[in-house]
Amino acid sequence: MMLNDRPYPDWHEGLTIQGVIEHMNFTWPKLVTKVNGQLVWPEDYPNVVLAENDDLKIHHLLAGG
Amino acid sequence: MIQMCDVPRYKDVDMEEIKKMQAAHVLLNKVEYEPKQIEKGYTDKLLTIDVTDASIQISDIPAEVKEKFVGGKGYCLRYLWDATNPNTKWDSPENEIVMSSGPIAGITQYAGTGKMLVATISPLTGIPIDSNVGGFFGPYLKFSGFDALELKGQAEEDVIIVIDGNKGTIEIDKAPLEHLDAHLIGEELTAMYADDENDRKHVAVVCAGSAADHCDLSMLNFTFYDPRRGTVRLKQAGRGGIGRVFRHKKVKAIVCKYQGIKNDLNHVHDISIINKTGVKYHREMATQDPKQNNMRKIGTANTMKILNDYDILPTHNFKFGGTPNIHEMEPKVFIEQWLTQGAADGCWYGCSMACAKAADHFKLKTGPYAGNCVVVDGPEYETAAGVGPNCGITTPQVILEINFYCDTYGIDTISWGTTVAFLMECYENGILNKERTGGLELNFGNCDAALELLHLTAKNEGFGKIAGMGTHKQKEYFAQQGWGDMKFMNDIAMEQKGLEYSEYGSKESLAQQGGYGLTNKGPQHDEAWLIFMDQVNNQIPTFDDKAEALYYYPRFRTWFGLVGLCKLPWNDVVPENNSLTDEPAKVPEHVDNYLDLFYGVTGRRIDREELLVMSERVYNFQRIFNIRLGKGLRKHDAIPYRSVGPVTEEEYLSRQERYDGQLVEKVGYTKEQVEQMSLQEKMAATRTYREGEYEKLINAVYPKRGWTMNGVPKIEHLKKIGMDLPELIEIVEPLQNVEP
Amino acid sequence: MKRLVKDESKCIGCRSCEEACSKAYYKVADRDKSCIKINEKAEGGFEIKICTQCGICGQVCNTGVIQPNANGVHMLNKKECVGCLMCVGYCPEQVMVQDDSRSEPSKCTACGLCVKACPTGAIQIQDC
Repeated sequence: MMLNDRPYPDWHEGLTIQGVIEHMNFTWPKLVTKVNGQLVWPEDYPNVVLAENDDLKIHHLLAGG
Repeated sequence: MIQMCDVPRYKDVDMEEIKKMQAAHVLLNKVEYEPKQIEKGYTDKLLTIDVTDASIQISDIPAEVKEKFVGGKGYCLRYLWDATNPNTKWDSPENEIVMSSGPIAGITQYAGTGKMLVATISPLTGIPIDSNVGGFFGPYLKFSGFDALELKGQAEEDVIIVIDGNKGTIEIDKAPLEHLDAHLIGEELTAMYADDENDRKHVAVVCAGSAADHCDLSMLNFTFYDPRRGTVRLKQAGRGGIGRVFRHKKVKAIVCKYQGIKNDLNHVHDISIINKTGVKYHREMATQDPKQNNMRKIGTANTMKILNDYDILPTHNFKFGGTPNIHEMEPKVFIEQWLTQGAADGCWYGCSMACAKAADHFKLKTGPYAGNCVVVDGPEYETAAGVGPNCGITTPQVILEINFYCDTYGIDTISWGTTVAFLMECYENGILNKERTGGLELNFGNCDAALELLHLTAKNEGFGKIAGMGTHKQKEYFAQQGWGDMKFMNDIAMEQKGLEYSEYGSKESLAQQGGYGLTNKGPQHDEAWLIFMDQVNNQIPTFDDKAEALYYYPRFRTWFGLVGLCKLPWNDVVPENNSLTDEPAKVPEHVDNYLDLFYGVTGRRIDREELLVMSERVYNFQRIFNIRLGKGLRKHDAIPYRSVGPVTEEEYLSRQERYDGQLVEKVGYTKEQVEQMSLQEKMAATRTYREGEYEKLINAVYPKRGWTMNGVPKIEHLKKIGMDLPELIEIVEPLQNVEP
Repeated sequence: MKRLVKDESKCIGCRSCEEACSKAYYKVADRDKSCIKINEKAEGGFEIKICTQCGICGQVCNTGVIQPNANGVHMLNKKECVGCLMCVGYCPEQVMVQDDSRSEPSKCTACGLCVKACPTGAIQIQDC
């Protein structure tokens, strides 16, 4: 599985988007998440199970400056 | 939690004292004028004040200047250029402080529409510095009939300048009795020039602080009156030592008064589109901010913990990216214990983002005002990070106390935080010791020493004299004294072009290294803040991607400063459906809001591309201004290694897994080779690689920007963007073929 | 405290209240200029949006020009208002009116004209 175009080393059966977010300690509230190009809304993060060859993008929309 | 409705009003000033201060004024000059009505955002008038002979001049701003420079920062740089020459220094009498707000400034229907841009030749960098600031002065100056103000010369004794936009008068007075510290003089002049309490909101004051008489890190404070608290609040034009120039001219304050604020003083082209866009934005703030950044609850410091979690929060002079003590100062702590909630904290009317938070009736423990209960404006993220974890301090009470004193003394919190962090690292490395600091134990985390150093700097006493010089001059001084190795200090002193870094650790983001290094005024994040796009999201992986971002964002962000807007409302809240857009990071709907506002005010319909070209002209003008003053070439875009990679063994070891891994994945060593390498060899290999990457980044960015490999704008590019002015060509022509 | 209360079951959707309200201040019958709004419900019947005098408009105002009077009715001081329209965006019921003909928005003053215009008693002034 890829996370933000980098290999994600901790994939396992049953891994959800929420699992990735917790593992990566992504604590930012404004995330834009896509699985294989399909937008996923935050309420679905615990339900979407990731396959081994999925392309996951979790983009932080962070303002700064 | 402290609620606004429970906050008692602040004690009023003593009007008898104010009368005495006013009675001591000596009139030097007074002129009457007919305030020009604003048309579509512009008055097309320039006010020039020379304090050497107290002369006051009003002139027209030509159409060509308006066309090429738009307003705001564009006007500031244009008039600063015209007033100065290649030999002008910060303390030359001809150096000016130019202020201009821009065409959109002063509308009240949209958030962040009251910005003033300020520029001068900086005592820290020797090149133009520009800084943007909220508060009421920018709009009031325009309502009083002026798109820009230039302040030049040098007075013999302290003066104040008073502009009354209703009566149409400008006067310059000797003013010996008012205090210098901003929280005092702000109140004094506001009370002095207001007819009664209700009138105080019509008075705006620009002042510095007592440190500005000698400290190069000094800034300007701009007031706004807070009618609910019954007190004056402060916003800062912080960067680059503008306050030092102000006080060198012996200007104590500039006051502008304007009664009768309404939402169409700009006499806009189409008010309907402005109203509609404004209500839409306020609605978005009402529904989205509580789910997103909580700007109304905590302001920009909302990012404190997040940056810690992502290894970006500068800690111990940018050595590390976070602190285990972050829980002591995370946003929740400030919201629940320190910052007043439920207040309408906008620094200009109509700012629903309302990020100008405050700690109320804060009891000071140290310094000349110990025991006083004051309003502390902030802390903003940069302040909290800089004077906090970067100096090893995580105690909110101390951060707030430093914040208050920096503001009232007129010291830029960003430069202060970065400077003290540098001094602390020098102390811990033996470059400084107790003898050299006059007894101050400047270890990371020593709150008492950090505060004492601040008070000494304001008084210009002891080691405070050294602290007030800024990081660039400090390292030269320490080397001269034989205290430290210049090479090591160059590596750890987080300054470039003479300006201290703002508060983001850029080691793990090459694009952000460029976001700091490839800037005009020095390493401030306001041009390109790419750290998350690059480091975490990996959205700009190639050199070309990074270069494109370092071409787009500085142009886009420059535009805010041309038209009088605050940048925060652009992306500190986003529309609910923003994630469905092609480029969420650009917040396309908000960009369109800005195009609508620009059209609504000026009547000129521009598209996204034209917006960028407007900025690009001014951006290149500023680059060439730097070259004119001897500091705008590739060599000046070099950055300290602390911002690129691990300088010390301690830093390498703190991220050993990452750095070792990169030697394999990126540099090309085998795992076995890395295992055989000594720590020093690994550090050297990492350094060679990372420094090489930065050079490659520059090689990718300059051509995008239309510059030579030496960082000089190409004549053909200047022609393309309509900025081939003869005075610019004269400077870049001889450099067109000069190799770096 | 004086404020409007509603009984949506009695509303027949005649919009007399909207007309009375917009005419009172803007002198035209235009529901976009009314501080009371009648919306058709998808499932049938009508929703009545009224000002509850919650005071959020006053809290967000940084000029402090919306203040409760002796009756608890939040009144907008038009002379001091700078027309920033934050109150309009923040009104949870969306019943503050922004109209391009005026610099300042307008809000419900609990004047009772809508109550008088309502033929069924679906809206009332409550004085408690």
